[in-house]
Amino acid sequence: MSARDDILRAVRAARGATFAGGEPPPLPALPAAPRVWGEAAVGLVEQFTAAALAAASNVVRITRAALPQVIEATAGVTPSAASGRVGDDLRVLSMVAAIPGTVALPDDPHALAQLDLFVCEGVIGVAENGAIWLPASQLGERAALVLATEVIVVLARSAIVPTMHAAYAAVDVSAEAFGVFLAGPSKTADIEQSLVIGAHGAKGLTVCLVDD
Amino acid sequence: MRVALFAPCFVDQLVPSAAIAAVRVLERLGVEVALPGGAACCGQPPANAGFAAAGEPALDRFVQTFAPYDHVVVLSGSCTVHVKGHAAALGPAGARVAARTIEFCTFLHDIVGLAAVRALGASCRERVAVHVGCHALRGLDLATPSELQRPAVDKVRALLETVDGLSFATLGRRDECCGFGGSFSVSEPAVSTRMGRDRLHDMRTHGATAIVSTDVSCVLHLQGIDRASGGALPMWHVAEVLARRGATDDATTAP
Amino acid sequence: MTPTHTEHRRLPIVDAHGAVDHAAGAALFNADVERTGWHDGALWFVREKRDRAAATVPEWEALRDLASAIKTHTLSRLDEYLALFERRATARGITVHWARDAAEHNEIVHGILAARGARRMVKSKSMLTEECGLNDYLAARGIEVVDTDLGERIVQLRHEPPSHIVMPAIHLKKEEIGETFHEHLGTPAGLADPDVLTAAARVHLRERFLGADAALTGVNFGIAETGGIVVITNEGNADLGTALAPVHIASMGIEKLVPRAADLGVFLRLLARSATGQASSVYASHMHAPRPGQAMHVVLVDNGRSTQLGRADFWGSLKCIRCAACINTCPVYRRSGGYSYGSTVPGPIGSVLTPGLDLAKYAALPFASTLCGSCSAVCPVKVDLDAQLYRWRQQVVAAGHVSPAKGWFMRRLGGMLADPELLQLAGSAARVALRVLPSALARRLAGGWGATRALPEAPRGSFREWRRANRPGEP
Repeated sequence: MSARDDILRAVRAARGATFAGGEPPPLPALPAAPRVWGEAAVGLVEQFTAAALAAASNVVRITRAALPQVIEATAGVTPSAASGRVGDDLRVLSMVAAIPGTVALPDDPHALAQLDLFVCEGVIGVAENGAIWLPASQLGERAALVLATEVIVVLARSAIVPTMHAAYAAVDVSAEAFGVFLAGPSKTADIEQSLVIGAHGAKGLTVCLVDD
Repeated sequence: MRVALFAPCFVDQLVPSAAIAAVRVLERLGVEVALPGGAACCGQPPANAGFAAAGEPALDRFVQTFAPYDHVVVLSGSCTVHVKGHAAALGPAGARVAARTIEFCTFLHDIVGLAAVRALGASCRERVAVHVGCHALRGLDLATPSELQRPAVDKVRALLETVDGLSFATLGRRDECCGFGGSFSVSEPAVSTRMGRDRLHDMRTHGATAIVSTDVSCVLHLQGIDRASGGALPMWHVAEVLARRGATDDATTAP
Repeated sequence: MTPTHTEHRRLPIVDAHGAVDHAAGAALFNADVERTGWHDGALWFVREKRDRAAATVPEWEALRDLASAIKTHTLSRLDEYLALFERRATARGITVHWARDAAEHNEIVHGILAARGARRMVKSKSMLTEECGLNDYLAARGIEVVDTDLGERIVQLRHEPPSHIVMPAIHLKKEEIGETFHEHLGTPAGLADPDVLTAAARVHLRERFLGADAALTGVNFGIAETGGIVVITNEGNADLGTALAPVHIASMGIEKLVPRAADLGVFLRLLARSATGQASSVYASHMHAPRPGQAMHVVLVDNGRSTQLGRADFWGSLKCIRCAACINTCPVYRRSGGYSYGSTVPGPIGSVLTPGLDLAKYAALPFASTLCGSCSAVCPVKVDLDAQLYRWRQQVVAAGHVSPAKGWFMRRLGGMLADPELLQLAGSAARVALRVLPSALARRLAGGWGATRALPEAPRGSFREWRRANRPGEP
């Protein structure tokens, strides 16, 4: 008997005994998850902004037309750590066509070890917690998200949904090999509960809310 | 209205003033109080220590003693929870008694009503820390536990607010356990004592001049710790406070 | 300069029969009055953050009901969901393994690593691998395992186990962590600034991430309908490992499944708020297939879970999503520390899971509680923790794991409590003793109770006597 057979047999017998008799416990219906459009969306932008700030993200409002200058525009809120590199020496990987980067997607993610800034675009944002869904196709190289010292995520204001229920209704998390709900820069409170921003992943996250 | 009153074993033998006060309060409220003596204990102490079978004879006595009554008012949150949780397993009589068993404060609040309690004219000039025993709190809906996101309800506070002159200390940790826990108090004395000391400290530093509780077992534990360090904080069951009328405090005199 | 706290290295205290003595461990912990207050305050702070976060969700209690119902349903058909998960995961290129127990889990993990010639593995938090003793097993076979969660790395460097399932180093002060980093990372002596210490750990662990042959993660949730797994961190260490290493091994307890991706909406709304008071953890990574060129493995582990599922009184503990809210709120855990339990998972959930693995060894754990019920009230999946603790106590006694003296005493007590006349007699004797004996002697006679508590003033008589005098005619 394989381990698989043994385990499945043991589980089947156990749950059969425990849940014998009476109605089998049903899988409950989930709360309705409306996606909010138009006027009602304004409140969501405020809520998302507050939640993102609470998660130690920076939040800026920008027009699509102004995206090419976003790196300079946000330099004040995304200081590039200790690298000391500025201007064209800054190592930027950008997955957003409108925003120029300085390095290309490598074959080997290890090559991104010294990445200063990673720019990508989120699919949806979640107002209740400031999280943004980033699937593999938006990331290009998922290591970039956690190797870069700073991350900029572009997000359309109209792409904000109220809750996680709405988020799972809006995206198919299984469509790609990888996707992440990202809510802020990397952090830890493992040393006497002192909150430290920038544990192993990004030290700073800037969300650029774009009006469409 | 006629009820049977049950005084827990330790109230009966060590703090009868709480039971006497309960009788006085109920009678002043126009409730006829029967005091059948056939049962001394609900059986919780051995049951909570893992010896449910050893606690069954006492619980059975309880069921038999109180079967004839429509309302069984119990002067303890933890005893009430034990009866309501375990008497039904003894049979249909047990199930009936369990359904009719009600904790003292719950009875006053839900059945008698605050208007009548206010008309008692109780008076007590103290700033009290209210300690709702954990079983009463999380097992009987006497008040909304701080963990739950539910509309705030506090039946004990509502009862005490009818008492003239009473003010309330706001604690740092509203409903943390006092550390009694039955046999826990002697099997884990270090933690039990530390919990009691911390609870008392919270009450004192927030200006409590007295403690009022739904459970005398908690009181015996807190009082024991307080007195051991030279403290003299008065501690009462809710019934004792409701029975106080001004300077002529005849309510709690025990024989 | 805070002296290095080493008392906890003497924990847990285990008796001559190999049984954990929580009370003795707790007494040792409590001997340091100030430290106990500090530990208690630190955990209570997390409880308060949880309360504030829960208060921002008006439908919080409804979410708990939903989460409990989803987990209950899943467990009631767990074999079907496990088979579905395997089918879907395999179709996406994930290799699924099955381990009956800890030994098989360790063999499988080692087998995967050995086949690749992997010598250096980075690991993000997995209490399951703690349970299986994986690190030591691999180290003995020449494979270096680096725990990358900051708290876990700290205790790993100190050769200590985690004392909490979410905050592994909660028992340590920053000065002590500074000493550890000075010894192992070469940071300056006396450094205790959390920002600087974390920055040093960042550099130290970056090297490990970049040089790893393999990455092992736990699994917060497995999605049956899609065959994917969800791994959640605040630090990003799971992603740094899995995004770089050519091999990803995910160790998953079989109870970690949920049926649908949409179910995650419920759990992700509850998890971080319950664990740390955050609205969301930073990284909730959903993995459905290996990276191009990467091998991805999921090891499904039973190790007593199917047995627990068959226990009518205790299967509910398998709903647990490892948020540690019960641990943070437990007034006993806060004042005794994780090590006093001697189990991989401490606190209330540990005390209902671990006795199922070895009732004799862990007989004391269900008694390390006042049954206050705070744990059950904070649990996001509504595990009836306090009810299970009560039921485990009955099991411990039925199996004979209490002293004969205690058994004799409890049976005598039960007899007396059922006999009002006997109780009255005992009460009279007690009242006489309280009146007549010097208080110091009376307290000594009162055994454990009197050690730290004064005894009550003796009333004149019992309520029973008052009734006889004032209410004649009562039965």
